[in-house]
Amino acid sequence: MKNYSDSNSRANRRFAVFLIYLALPVLAAAALAFTGPWIFLTSIPAFPPPDNIREVRYSAVEDALALSLGMRRLAADVWFIRLMQYYGSPDIDERENLYAEMPDAGHGQPGHHCAGAHFGEGQYPDFLPLASHILALDPYFTNAGLYTAGSLAFNLHRPEEAVGFLNGALVYHPKEWKYATLLAAIGYSKSKDPAKVARIITPLIMEPDCPVMLRQLAAFLNKKAGNYSAAYSIYKTILETTKDRFYIDNSRKEIAELEGMGLAAPPGAASPRGAASLRFGGHRP
Amino acid sequence: MKNFFTAWNIARHSLVENYKNRFFALFVIFAGVLIYASLLAGVMAMDEEARVITDLGLALMELTALAYALLAAASTITREIETKTIYLIFSRPVPRPAYLAGKAAGLYASLALMLGVMALIQLSLISFRGFALPPFYLKAVFFIWCKLLIIISAVLFISLFSTSTVSTITISGILWTLGHFTSEAKFLINKSSGSASLLLKACAYFIPNFQLFNARDLGASGPAPAGPGFLAAYLLLWVSAPYLFSLVLFRKKEF
Repeated sequence: MKNYSDSNSRANRRFAVFLIYLALPVLAAAALAFTGPWIFLTSIPAFPPPDNIREVRYSAVEDALALSLGMRRLAADVWFIRLMQYYGSPDIDERENLYAEMPDAGHGQPGHHCAGAHFGEGQYPDFLPLASHILALDPYFTNAGLYTAGSLAFNLHRPEEAVGFLNGALVYHPKEWKYATLLAAIGYSKSKDPAKVARIITPLIMEPDCPVMLRQLAAFLNKKAGNYSAAYSIYKTILETTKDRFYIDNSRKEIAELEGMGLAAPPGAASPRGAASLRFGGHRP
Repeated sequence: MKNFFTAWNIARHSLVENYKNRFFALFVIFAGVLIYASLLAGVMAMDEEARVITDLGLALMELTALAYALLAAASTITREIETKTIYLIFSRPVPRPAYLAGKAAGLYASLALMLGVMALIQLSLISFRGFALPPFYLKAVFFIWCKLLIIISAVLFISLFSTSTVSTITISGILWTLGHFTSEAKFLINKSSGSASLLLKACAYFIPNFQLFNARDLGASGPAPAGPGFLAAYLLLWVSAPYLFSLVLFRKKEF
């Protein structure tokens, strides 16, 4: 009986050794050999291929590092900071001189005293390459896309480039309704109907993380279209949601001007971080 | 069951050992300081401050935890062999599979602890700045840990045949880099031909695809690269396969 038990336990041990040291490793190797190629061939890359990334400002080493460490998002953040620094610094623009010589064309038109309307104008030749670089690194950086397309279309007066940029952004992020909305707004801006453009971009500025530049644009367009209460609400929201000095100063100035026109703050017009509380009398789509 | 308790005891001991290691504390302090520095970087991003703080913090957490994981995993068994501590362990009825499993589990737990502490530091800073918890944050931290599980398993295996700790860390670093480079490798394979293509394919097929777990890079709006079931199976495979290969190598070692 004891002999039978000993031989049984020896057989069990042999089976365990066979299982742990031969069968399972071979099985694991086979599974790796199968899943490796399978996942590699069937997976759809979430990011654009590396040839979409064009070098800007000697970025090759930085980009290679970002890709190889899986840090595209962080690299896109760094490039977005650079883009804002670039766009925030003065541009040598011959048009500025041209405006100085132009006769006063009226509110909102180039050369007029309403300075906020002309913020960001200039050539900024690196603006589009820098922005394209950001979206090539991280195509899901929606705010960078909106900021770029809005600036290109409405501040830099290069709507064709903005449309091309947004179409490129939609390739990797086709369900992003904010891009589609901005595309429509750019399309309508050609019809010189500020009220319509303001109505189209309203859903965008209702988003809590909407780029301040678009809010500024919406406020300006509403003011231009005579929707002063809507413009007032948006300027109030800008004051409460942004940290950008320019936009804060400009909003204060505009609010003072609108209050000077006898416009009082509508109750609950704006709340902290509360773009959702914006109300546009009769213009909300 | 007995083997399980042996592995459990070794894992517990390994966790305590890592926790008491001054490098562990140094790494956590270093990460804390860096995460705090990310606040300063965030200020430069104006209205994208929350995003920059989150991304920079997560990236620093990953790099810090990776550095510690590589150092600890590359030296944990070799140090015990050099100091002959392993003789003491194997003079008792400790099966080798239980010893290896315990060592690996101890490292997994240490890294979980480290990531947890760093995540708490970062979340406190994010909340101190008045921002909400980013929607993908917890998933990103968990997936960082998943990537570290894979690399620890691989490092333990490499350390058994590598000639030195430095070479183990170097090989593992290359593996980590290549694992994040898989989608770009696909592009390179399509562009290349002949032996270069074959070599690239061989490399790309048999390295762990870390991009599958790179939720930190995809954020909230990026598409999920695979379903949770597949990811769990892939993780299990890449954690268990190096362990099983390590057992084969470890069996032949004489103590």
